[in-house]
Amino acid sequence: MDLQNLNPSSLKSRFTARFLRALTEINAPKTISSSSPREIFQRYRRIKVAADKSMAYSVRSRRIWSRATLWRLRTRSRSRRLVSFGRRASVKTRTTASHGKENKEHHGAVLGVQAEELRELVPGGEAMDLCNLLDETAHYIKCLTTQGFCVYMGGLLCEGCC
Amino acid sequence: MGTWDNSMDQSDPFESALSSMVSSPAASNVPVSGENVMMRELIGKLGNICSSGDASCYTTPLNSPPRFDLSMVNLPNRSSLAAPFSADPGFAERAARFSCFSSSGNSGGFNDPLMDSFKLSGNQPINVDGSQSNKNSGSDKKNSGVSRSSSPENAESGVSKDESSVFQQIQSQNDAGTRKRKSTPREKPKEIPSPAADDAKVASENEESNSKRSRRNGAPAGNGNAKGSNDGNEKQRKENSKLLEPPKDYIHVRARRGQATDSHSLAERVRREKISERMKFLQDLVPGCNKVTGKAVMLDEIINYVQSLQRQVEFLSMKLATVNPRMDVNMEALLSKDMFQSRGQLPHGIYSIDSSPAFPYGYQPQQGLLPLTNGIPNTTETPFSMKTQGFLLPSVDGFTDAHPQVGPMWEDDLQSIVQMGFAQNQPQSYQGSIPTGQVKLEL
Repeated sequence: MDLQNLNPSSLKSRFTARFLRALTEINAPKTISSSSPREIFQRYRRIKVAADKSMAYSVRSRRIWSRATLWRLRTRSRSRRLVSFGRRASVKTRTTASHGKENKEHHGAVLGVQAEELRELVPGGEAMDLCNLLDETAHYIKCLTTQGFCVYMGGLLCEGCC
Repeated sequence: MGTWDNSMDQSDPFESALSSMVSSPAASNVPVSGENVMMRELIGKLGNICSSGDASCYTTPLNSPPRFDLSMVNLPNRSSLAAPFSADPGFAERAARFSCFSSSGNSGGFNDPLMDSFKLSGNQPINVDGSQSNKNSGSDKKNSGVSRSSSPENAESGVSKDESSVFQQIQSQNDAGTRKRKSTPREKPKEIPSPAADDAKVASENEESNSKRSRRNGAPAGNGNAKGSNDGNEKQRKENSKLLEPPKDYIHVRARRGQATDSHSLAERVRREKISERMKFLQDLVPGCNKVTGKAVMLDEIINYVQSLQRQVEFLSMKLATVNPRMDVNMEALLSKDMFQSRGQLPHGIYSIDSSPAFPYGYQPQQGLLPLTNGIPNTTETPFSMKTQGFLLPSVDGFTDAHPQVGPMWEDDLQSIVQMGFAQNQPQSYQGSIPTGQVKLEL
């Protein structure tokens, strides 16, 4: 798998651009003095969400996990305002998970336990059969490494320019 | 057949070689009626192998472009384009034998070159009767079947020289006229069972019979599928020969000898092969999984790796959260300058600073050290080096334990970016206060 994409439209560039923009938005209203653990934690949450969202947007809807991530992020943001919507979202997740399980058992997959764990890890993995799950996992791994790399670089950048 | 001739004239070396093989003494017992069907199927299968042997396991055969340049393959015998169909059975036999070799896990180590040789054919799928879809879907099946037993890494890596060598050997062997005893290339294969040739013939038979064949693993030839006059050969077959029916709508798979032939088990087998394909692909992706065998352990490794990556991102974002308050205007400047001016690569700007020899190691910024260790205890004092092994940071304060095997994956990225940085080496928007010593990376 080629992670050395250096063209401007590579995953790294797309992700980094979005992520940096999100970072500036997160940090803009903050002042230097806000360094209480709570603030830090809140900022961490936002940064993490920004990272995930940036990654998912960089991939758009080409992948199941990116769609699931985007959907999950939107759902969570909405569920804060509308609790019922969140409940509906969780219900939907359960049904898809049960469908996935049924399919798995029907085909007699030997790797049920690990497949289940993998499904929990990969966003949107509950509804996928093992074959697609492995597919998504491969792409997800690639994007996770890119994401980590860019966040790390972003950290360096922040240090560097401060 | 005219189409066959035309396609041959399109100068596909593999095709020409095959045709030459086909046209060499045909010791075929297959009745003429089944030849065309067999031919089509085999060609389709071969074409599919090549097209589906492309880099990604996940490309559909119809989409993946042919990978290998057959121009390097030196095939002497192109003259025998005229009479391909008369020798179809022979061609089918050989193709089937090759498929046996590559598809059979039993046959040992000579699968790969055959796989590669099969891939050659994918360059220009032989367009017999315009059954393009046949070949593609067929070869996809074939490829998946092969990859299960052989090593798809070889298949996908496309060792062209192996192919050409295999090819030439096949060619020479075919010219020798001993089609039956023809073995795979001498270098690679460890066993060249003579049943292979028989397998080929039986394969052609089965193709012609258009029914499901069973695996030839020395099982008694009781499968009744093989029709024709080659019943005696079935007993000698020791290898799998998996040929593809002309696909009707989707991927079709032939049952192997000794296996059930109902559609459920076939579909199951297809599924399993796909899964193992992807598992092997993931094995390449996840560092340190090369020695791991078995799906369960592999999956565990993959799960661990994904968890480590996710935790790594969390850790890094937490680190960012502590650093962030200091970052405001500079970020915009960097975004505007570094990101979009210099090839749109953020790390480029960073690396040009960090790895620049102009900045002494341990240079302290004028504004003072960033409280890197403020909220998150940082890693050890290892100075950040572009060439460092890993990127995955170790566990700090309850964060996950590092996955030291992540390292090698980052090296390429880092080095490439370092090269970029060194190439330009222009700290554009930095005010010169780069805490090179601040960057810490532990492996």
